[in-house]
Amino acid sequence: MGDAEQKTISAAARGDRMAFRQLVLDHSHAMFRVAWRLCNDESIVEDIVQEAFIKAWRKIEDFRMQSSFRSWLHRITVNTAMDYLRKQSRRRQFETETPEFETAEMAELPRHDVQIDIRLQAGAAMQKLSDTERTALLLRHYEGHSINEIAQILELTGDAAKQTVFRAVQKMQIALQPLLGT
Amino acid sequence: MSKISEQDLTLLYYGEHKDPDLASVVAQSEELSARFKALNDELELVDAYQPPERGEDYGAEVWQRISPHLGVTQTKTRQRQSRQLLSGWWKGFSRPRFSTAGVLGLVLAAALAFMLGRNGNIQGSAGIESGPETVFAGIDSERLLASSVSGHLQQLNVGLTEFAHTDTPSAQDAEWAMDMLLANRLYRQSAAAGGDRRLAGFLAGLEPLLIELAYEAHAASNTAHERMRQEVRDDLLFKIRVMNNQLKTSQVST
Repeated sequence: MGDAEQKTISAAARGDRMAFRQLVLDHSHAMFRVAWRLCNDESIVEDIVQEAFIKAWRKIEDFRMQSSFRSWLHRITVNTAMDYLRKQSRRRQFETETPEFETAEMAELPRHDVQIDIRLQAGAAMQKLSDTERTALLLRHYEGHSINEIAQILELTGDAAKQTVFRAVQKMQIALQPLLGT
Repeated sequence: MSKISEQDLTLLYYGEHKDPDLASVVAQSEELSARFKALNDELELVDAYQPPERGEDYGAEVWQRISPHLGVTQTKTRQRQSRQLLSGWWKGFSRPRFSTAGVLGLVLAAALAFMLGRNGNIQGSAGIESGPETVFAGIDSERLLASSVSGHLQQLNVGLTEFAHTDTPSAQDAEWAMDMLLANRLYRQSAAAGGDRRLAGFLAGLEPLLIELAYEAHAASNTAHERMRQEVRDDLLFKIRVMNNQLKTSQVST
């Protein structure tokens, strides 16, 4: 975190809306990516991003400059997304038919559409991970957070975070190995 | 070096292995290089899971959507600062949190005034001669009750809007909810004593949530928080705003 961002965060914590606007401009794309990879549902991702920013505004004065602001925002995003996922899961309990991710349908994709096939399989494999594994993997693999940062975001010990990332990688390897021959 | 595990290779891939020599050890071993390349190939496939693109203006779009909602989400320091700055009779109605003693005093005064005035009206209607003073007392106390309940609903509106966007309610939130619950009960009793069943019923309908907020919210699970927040967002805030508007309209028309 650079000096400029620290000043912006301090100003936002004092109630400067324009400073907070700058933080929104700087971090929206990353927060969208995190929320989307967790939920894979565009209809709720925008709500998650907005709610996460509103929470961040409310709590910004609690932010301590010693830690990474990006990690702090991602933690709020992850928690907000988890809330939505739990709510969605409750809703599904009341539905008579819950559509499963159709892996069989994907297998029937035309061979010339291999890229789409890989994307869908990668997505399906991600969605089969537990919420914690998926979060740990997306934070490590796509967003470049260190194991220590992931431990903070997920409130795990360093060893537990490491194990969670490793478990997620192993599951993804198993799921995606068959595609390497295509 | 001991046997290199898959976990070692994964940590090496992500640049997180503590042994700085591991990369050269892997590079010098045909078997380890093959395993590391296989891991690379598999994890490259993970990159295929990409979100839909968002335009350059995405941040500005997000800002446009959230900025109207930031006004009610003052942080604690700003709330404290604004409390210190606030003065005058409207002070109690313009901030979401206040002391129990303060609210009780206000409510008791309003309730007492209303009930005394109402009793005056009841006596008058029972045939006992009533002078203009008791009639005026009745009218004033009705308006006083409407005005007080309107202020109460305004505080609930601000406080519950804040709660709807609160991740984890604090003990201070519970204290606020307790204040509001006590005030709500007194207003309900006053409304019932004054024969306004509709207002009394409405206020009674707010109490279950206030009880939950006062006694359980700060210790409840995330699931319970979410349910409460949803109830506030989807139902209570709307009802409170509608009732408050009606009370304001009735004050103007009387």
